[in-house]
Amino acid sequence: MKRISAFALALLLLNGLLLLNRFNSQVAAQSTKSGTAKAVRVAAKPLKITLPRKEGSVRFLAIGDTGTGSDKQQELADVMVRSHSEFPFDAVLMMGDNMYGGEGPKDFLTKFENIYRPLIDQKVKFYASLGNHDEPAQRFYQHFNMDGKEYYRFTRGNVAFYALNSNYMDKKQVDWLNSELGKDTSQWKIAFMHHPPYSSGSKHGSDKKLREVVEPIFLKHGVNVVLTGHDHFYERVKPQKGIYYFVSGAGGKLRPGDVKDNSPLTDKAFDKDMSFMLIEIADDQMYFQVLSRTGETIDEGVISNPRKK
Amino acid sequence: MKHNHAILALSALMLIVTPSPGSIVQANGEQVEETQNAAPTEAQKKLINTFDNHIKDYLRQRNQVKEKLPKLSKDSTAEQIHSYQVAFVEALRAMRAGTNPGYIFQPEIAAYIRALIKDEFKGSERVELRQSVLEADTKGVPLRVNYPYPESKELNQTPPTLLLRLPQLPKEVKYRFVGTNMLLVDTDNGLIVDYMTKALP
Repeated sequence: MKRISAFALALLLLNGLLLLNRFNSQVAAQSTKSGTAKAVRVAAKPLKITLPRKEGSVRFLAIGDTGTGSDKQQELADVMVRSHSEFPFDAVLMMGDNMYGGEGPKDFLTKFENIYRPLIDQKVKFYASLGNHDEPAQRFYQHFNMDGKEYYRFTRGNVAFYALNSNYMDKKQVDWLNSELGKDTSQWKIAFMHHPPYSSGSKHGSDKKLREVVEPIFLKHGVNVVLTGHDHFYERVKPQKGIYYFVSGAGGKLRPGDVKDNSPLTDKAFDKDMSFMLIEIADDQMYFQVLSRTGETIDEGVISNPRKK
Repeated sequence: MKHNHAILALSALMLIVTPSPGSIVQANGEQVEETQNAAPTEAQKKLINTFDNHIKDYLRQRNQVKEKLPKLSKDSTAEQIHSYQVAFVEALRAMRAGTNPGYIFQPEIAAYIRALIKDEFKGSERVELRQSVLEADTKGVPLRVNYPYPESKELNQTPPTLLLRLPQLPKEVKYRFVGTNMLLVDTDNGLIVDYMTKALP
């Protein structure tokens, strides 16, 4: 009996030592890069990713209004990094306002590169759109993958992405969008831009003038999903004329309590903490999960695309 | 006599700058003014043509400077972008030294643009436009030709429906609201090319 108890005690001790060692190695690895304060966050409990992670699926992250360089932006970025280890995505869509305040070389470091370094190092590609705080010259920045253009298209599998410049939606851009969408045979067409055609924000809300111009084009050419920012919260808008609109504008700033109460537009909203979206597209299903700065899931679901390839 | 001439001249100008309304008949038979897609009159076309020519003059100057700069690749570092912008602005400012405000926004085209904006934004839309433009973080943007737009300041969204009606610009230049003013700003280097006052109705 004594031998069994001693054996159990030894096992317990060994297990404890192993756990301590694992924790220390995580702390040490992180400490060399970012300091001890961040090491504590690494030891946080694993994220509960509910996305199906199907073979061959298109996986990406959507985030907006990031460029503050604040501790909170960093904390959210840490959750992004943790989610990447469990849900490997290879693209991040940026909804604009990538740089608040100055845009000197140091700002690109403190508001972007240093914050997302682990993802950049793992070859995750960031695709930026421009907001009202962004100089158009950002289109030349190597890590924003804009191909030197203020608006552009790229594809991943059966998905076509349209990065639009809602800050300056002129005739040239409208013509380009019409023309590109007109010949696009992709199963999924996803537009992303800064200003939201639909939003329940008290501060900004729906950009009706933008909607007047882009919505008929989206409808004509079968755009499925529109991702936006500008309002500093998360909102999943009720489908509008068959199109799913999301606001994901709390990547670096938060406007607590800004979502209008009882807004007829809202399906789900969250304005209590910062957040980002994880998205997975497999054939005709788009799965999404929205995570907060604390790693809590604040929304999730699936959208079906009735259109076939 | 002089007074009569002045009134005639002013009336002619008002006819030119006021956006030409089209008209549509509603289902109830009521005829309403429709200016959204109204084509400019011949006189307005002349104004726009002159405006275009002044923009082209600016582009010629700009391109002369740009040709001498190292090309900015689509994979530039932040340092390369910054150096490029600084060099571009400095050289362009030197070349355009002495340029006066109103060189591009001459009084007639400025009046035409003012009228367009006024026509595009009515009632609550006008209130919303004013609120959004005036609340933006643009305090400290110099109302001076040939000065750079500060990189730390907000670039107001120019409303899309208005952009479709304003005289079309090449991609190198953009309309920007700052306070109640309308600026022409270079896309790549942020130089304030020209400005007009009292643009916001």
